[in-house]
Parts: sequence; structure tokens; C-alpha cells
Amino acid sequence: MLLRLDDVRRHFGGVHAVDGVSLEVEQGSIQGLIGPNGAGKTTLVNVITGYARFQSGRAWIESDELTGRPAYRIAAMGIARTFQNIRLFKDLTAIENVLIGMHTRRRDDTLAQLATLPIFRTAELSRVKDAYTLLETVGLQKSVGTRHAATLPYGDQRRLEIARALALRPRLLILDEPAAGMNPNEKQGMRELIERLNADGLTILLIDHDMRLVMGVCKRVAVLNFGKKIADGTPEEVSTDATVIKAYLGTGGEREVTSAPGASGVAEETDVEQAASTSRAAREPDNPILDVENLTVSYGAIVAVRGVSFRVAKGEVVALIGANGAGKSTILNTLSGLIRAGSGSAVFDGLDLISAKASSIVRRGLVQVPEGREILARQTVLENLELATWARRDGAATRAQIDAVLKRFPILGERRDLSAGSLSGGEQQMLAIARGILAKPRLLLLDEPSLGLAPQMVDEVFRAIEEIHKDGTTILLVEQNALRALAIADRAYVIETGRILLSGSGDELLHNPAVRRAYLGG
Amino acid sequence: MDFFISLVSDPVAFWNSHTLLIAQIGINCIIATSMFLVLYSGQLSLAAPGFMAIGAYVSVLMSNYWHTPGVVSTIAAALLAGVIGFLVGLPVLRLRGVFLAIATIGFIEALRLGVILNVPITGEGLGLSNTRSADPLGAINFILVSLIVIVFVVWRLTKGRLGNAWAAIRQDELAALSQGIDVARYKMIAFVLSALMAGYAGALEAHLFFNIDPGDAQYGVTRAVQVLTFAVLGGSGFVLGPVVGALIITLLPYIFQGAGDYINILAGVFLIAVIVFRPQGIVGRGGLALVRPAWWPKARVSAASPG
Repeated sequence: MLLRLDDVRRHFGGVHAVDGVSLEVEQGSIQGLIGPNGAGKTTLVNVITGYARFQSGRAWIESDELTGRPAYRIAAMGIARTFQNIRLFKDLTAIENVLIGMHTRRRDDTLAQLATLPIFRTAELSRVKDAYTLLETVGLQKSVGTRHAATLPYGDQRRLEIARALALRPRLLILDEPAAGMNPNEKQGMRELIERLNADGLTILLIDHDMRLVMGVCKRVAVLNFGKKIADGTPEEVSTDATVIKAYLGTGGEREVTSAPGASGVAEETDVEQAASTSRAAREPDNPILDVENLTVSYGAIVAVRGVSFRVAKGEVVALIGANGAGKSTILNTLSGLIRAGSGSAVFDGLDLISAKASSIVRRGLVQVPEGREILARQTVLENLELATWARRDGAATRAQIDAVLKRFPILGERRDLSAGSLSGGEQQMLAIARGILAKPRLLLLDEPSLGLAPQMVDEVFRAIEEIHKDGTTILLVEQNALRALAIADRAYVIETGRILLSGSGDELLHNPAVRRAYLGG
Repeated sequence: MDFFISLVSDPVAFWNSHTLLIAQIGINCIIATSMFLVLYSGQLSLAAPGFMAIGAYVSVLMSNYWHTPGVVSTIAAALLAGVIGFLVGLPVLRLRGVFLAIATIGFIEALRLGVILNVPITGEGLGLSNTRSADPLGAINFILVSLIVIVFVVWRLTKGRLGNAWAAIRQDELAALSQGIDVARYKMIAFVLSALMAGYAGALEAHLFFNIDPGDAQYGVTRAVQVLTFAVLGGSGFVLGPVVGALIITLLPYIFQGAGDYINILAGVFLIAVIVFRPQGIVGRGGLALVRPAWWPKARVSAASPG
């Protein structure tokens, strides 16, 4: 065993980010580590690499103990890592970035530098040569070497970060989401790179949300959920494991795991494309209140949304579902005017959302309840609601509406004078939704209302959403918890890497195995 | 203008008549290099005036009481500033960015108000008389040679393993850790070297005057801000940046000599203009190309700045 973890724990306050994980990584293997958003994957990597302290448990690389050592020492012991959100030395050139990676195997040259004799330059020249070889290894052109890291295209930055990690000559390379934000071609390239490095004898621990990549490249995969390891095995074992499917797709309330798409194994062989075409027949409304055509959104070089079209009719509940990083939140943020679209159109009730200001979009009645809730933690529940209406001048009507909202969410009524930060996650979500309703929405955008909530709270929140819908509000819902969302949606669109993979009625999609594949690959 | 005309037309006479000014420029350049070192390693430390005060008082007290030669007391005072730099660094280097700046301001003000103005041996508010060892004109060569040696050493340090580690820490501490760099250790090395240089400059400066003035403009926040301005104006990416900044700032009163009462307004406008058009400083990494702000009317040549 190259890396061995024994019952590693890390808590942040009351949150059990890593809760007793044991894991073994075999010499020369590619071990995958997956799990839904917030499962504790990155925290586990941070603990292994010394960025977060162990609270209990131990870890070894071969026979050397990692427990309690500082990050720089662990790096010197041969564990190299990359970061989820690339951390290059941005204003240094690519080659300088790699040279810094050689820090630990370079003699101190302070005095030699002062003398600057040519004899001291030979070591430097051979280091530069090594650095260029490393750039070549990860597939970067020689000409990239003199460019500043920040000016490189996104994919090249990912590769450069790997080259810098390789400069440590590591025993173990930990890749934290190396393919995040890449297009399919770049992902294929990353996959080839990972396989090539492994073929040269490097052991790799791979964390990624892209199941196709992880399942394709790893011989063993461990799955984390709520800080615990819930499965560990070959990709085939893991992707058909009922606990894993439940962790990824959520539960459908009354509809239990048994009805999880494809879990029965019967429809296993159905081709994704074929499955997609069968449900694409879903009726698009003719007279939509929201009409999105061919929407494309990029963050710099990363294309997050690629030509998405969908419609929402008055009175509908429409869900956008898909794994983390599929581009769902980006779509919502574009609709509410927080992000500017690259191309395409989006029209809400005659208002062009692409060019309108965020404030006029809200005034037209398109209101977003953001992911992560964003309530004012230090203000009371009532103050939070009052702030949501401060721009309105009809005092009495506003007050009546706040009272109505507090009646609609009795739990908030009981806690009106408590600070919002003292509420549970589910109650905070209710408050965020209540605040959204006060803006008198005609179309309410809900971004991940179940994020980070315990199952019974998820039920509460979804019950509230159904009631709001009954009151006549049209809802566009973004969820990772697919089964729960499909259970209440009239129609849904499955999004994968910025594209609509398939669409259909909630019921159809519930039984479509392609949904599971969008989450778990295959 | 007279100032520059005399500089060009008769350099020897200029040298003789402006020796004290040139000495002050040299000392400010050493302090600027001390500032460069902490900024280069990513630490916004404003502690330099505190270490200057230590260097100044210790060297003058040594001369006054023990009659040590100027060179010996200067070097001893600088070493003591380095030791105190280490002790101060132990707690404050856990802080970053603006928090480190505030903590180091706390250090210089505590030293000035709490120690210098309160301990009889320093002469308190009246300042410390330095009639014994002061030599306003004699030290000029020593100062300029010191400056050249210090700038050379710091420049070479930035090129080696040490300098690469500093650059990595400045860019991203977490990433530097992942490359096996002992961040705390390298920050401390930069901080102590910087304290050593500031102490050295403080000791040299003390010997230019017959009385050490413990005022704010000398060892307080005002001086700290001035030193920071050296680096911001000149640019902190290359060792000569702060040196150029110190040169310009020290000469500002002469550059705008003709402006009379408006000199401070002109100097202020000049500084703002530099910061708007050259945010990376006069000697930045991007060569000498000007960066045009977004609202500036059309750029005929696209001024693409690398980095």
C-alpha cells in the first residue's frame, strides 16, 4: 500500500466534514474519490496534504507517518497535489512555476548566487532543461514556457499545475477536479494525460465530478457522502450500488430508491442517445412566459452553458436537473441578469433578459432564491422579510403580505424575532423562499433549495414549494436531488456539461435510465 | 529647474553643495530596499521606521557612552535591529495583508511613544544629542558604497532558491506550501533581513544629524507611509523599483521647486497620475509601457501588458 488512511476525522464546528474515513491506495494504481457536493472530498485531501489538521485518525505514505506534519513537509515527503480552483503563481512564467516545484530537491545556493560564477550556472541550466521536459510531459508547447501563467488558456493552466506538481518527483499525485470546467475534447486529453502518467509508474488519487472520467480511468473508486465512505470498489460495483445512487440522485420522498432510474439493472443496456430520443417528445408549451433560445454563457475561456433552449409556461413547475458543475446555476444567474450571456436569447413576458438590468428583471416579476440562501444572518427573521420589501411604498399592503407569508410558513412565524443565523438550514431555506415571495414573483427561480439539508428538512422545503405553486406561482427549479425534483415537476430538463441531454415530463424522466447516467456516467 | 541645470552643468559643484541631500537619498534608497524585501516575499510590513529607530538610537548611544567607531556602532546596531526583528516577527508574521500592516504600525508606535519618548537615556521628546559622532558630510562615500552592495546582494538573493521561494509565497502561500516551501521560515528570513537593513539605514541616518528627532515624520507612521510610497511609486517587482521611488520622492521638492506654495498639490497629482497609469510602479515587470485606464480616450497602439 502506498497511502493508508485509518479512521481519519475532521470536524468544523458541528459539521462532520470527514467522519472516520479509512482508505488504501495501492502502489501504481489510479484511485478515484467521488461524492456529491459537500461530501468532504476536498477536506479529506486537505487533511492528507497537511492543509487541515487531523482531529483523529492516522495516515501513512508507505511507512512514513503523515499525521500532524505541516503541509510543506508532506509535500517534501512526496505527496504532490493540484487545487480545485487552480492555484498557479499567476504573475510568474510557466517555466518559473515549474522551477519553484523543484524547491525541495535543490541545494541552497544563496552564497553561490552572490558570487555568480559560471560554474554555478550548470545546475541552474539543467533544472531549466528538466522543467521544459516536464512541460512536454504534460503536453505543453515549449513556447508556453516564457508566458505568464495567468495568460495561458484554462486547459493549459490545469496542465501547468500538474507539471508543477510533477516537479516535486512525487510518490503520490493527488488531482482535485483536474477536468472541472473543461469541454469534452479537453477532458479526453486530460484522461489521456492521467493514463500516461500512471503508465509511467505514478500513483494517482483522482477526485472529480465527471463520472465518465473517474469511472473510465480508475481501477478502484471510493465514494464519500456526508463525510463517510459509503462504498469502495471497482467502477462497476460502485455505479450500481444502491447507497451510491441514493447519495447522488437523492430520494423521491414516497418514491423510494427502488424506483431509482436504472437501478433495477433491467434497462442497463439502453443506449443513452436512444433513451434521450424517446423522451424528447415531451410537449414544449406554445405560449411560454419564459422562452430561452440557444443560450451560451462563458466565464473567460470556460464555456459553462452551451446552446441551451427551454421554455416555461404559466403555472408550471419546471426542473433543471444535473450533476454538480453542469451549468444549472449559471443559467439561473443569467436569467436574473447577474451574469451576461455570451449569445442566445431569453425572453420573460416580453422583457429581453439578456440586456435588461437585474433590478428591472426583478420588478417584472422574475425572482431568484439564490443557492446557499444568502440570508442576513445577524438580522431577525422579521427584519430579513422587511428588508426584502424596503423598496415598496404601500406600507399597509406590505405589512399584510408579510403577515400572510409568516402564516404560510408557521415555523418562521414562531421564530420571527430570532436572528436568522440561529435557524436550522431548512428554516433558513424557508426564509430565503419567503423573502423571494415578498417580491411578488410571477416566476420564482429556486437554486438548489435542498442543498446541505437533512432528508426530513428536504421534505419540508419541497412541501412548501408545492404550496407556493398551488398559490399560482410559476416555478423554475434547479436541483441536484433529481428524484425529489422530478417528483414535483411538470416537466424537466436534464443538463450535462452545459447542454440539455434530455427533457420530458417528471414521470417519464423518473423512469429513464439515462438520468442516472448523467449523474454517474457509464 | 536651477537644481537640475546645476546638476548637468557642473556636477562637481553640485556634489559639493548637495552632499547632505545625496546622503539622504542614499539612505532612503537603502530603506526602500528593506521595504522591497518584505513586499517581495508578500508581506505588507510597515515596521521599517521602528527598526530605523533602533538602529539610530543604539548606534548613537554606543558612540556617546562607549566611544565606539562609527562603523562598529552602525553594524552592531543593525545586528540588534535584526535580532529584534526576529522577536517581533515571531508573533506578527502569523498575520497577513492589512492585518500585518496594522500590527507593524502598532509595533512602531509602541516603540516610539512607549519606549523612546519615555526612557530617559533616549533624551525623550527633546531627542538625543549626537554631537560626538555626527559627521554630516564625511559618511557620503560609505553610504553610497553600502547602498550599492545592499542592492546587489538583494538582487542576487531574488534570483536564487531563496528568491524563488519568496516569489512563490508572494503569489500564493497555499500553493507555495504544496511545493514543499516552508512558508513561515522564508517569510521570517525576509523580515529579519529587512529589519537588519532598516536598522543599518537608521544608524547611518543618525550620524548625518547633530540631534536625533523622535518625531512622527522620522520614526512614526508618516515615515512608514513615505517608505511604502517609495515601493508603490517605483514598483515592487524588481529591486530597483523602490530605489527609483525613493530617489524621486526625495527629490520631489526640487523637481517642483518653482511651484512655491502649490508644491504639495503638484506632488500629489504626480503620485496619483503614476498610480493610475502605472499601477505596477515606474519600474514594473511590464517594461516601461503605460497602462491606459479603461475610460482613457482611444489607445492607438494596443498596450497589451504582459502580466
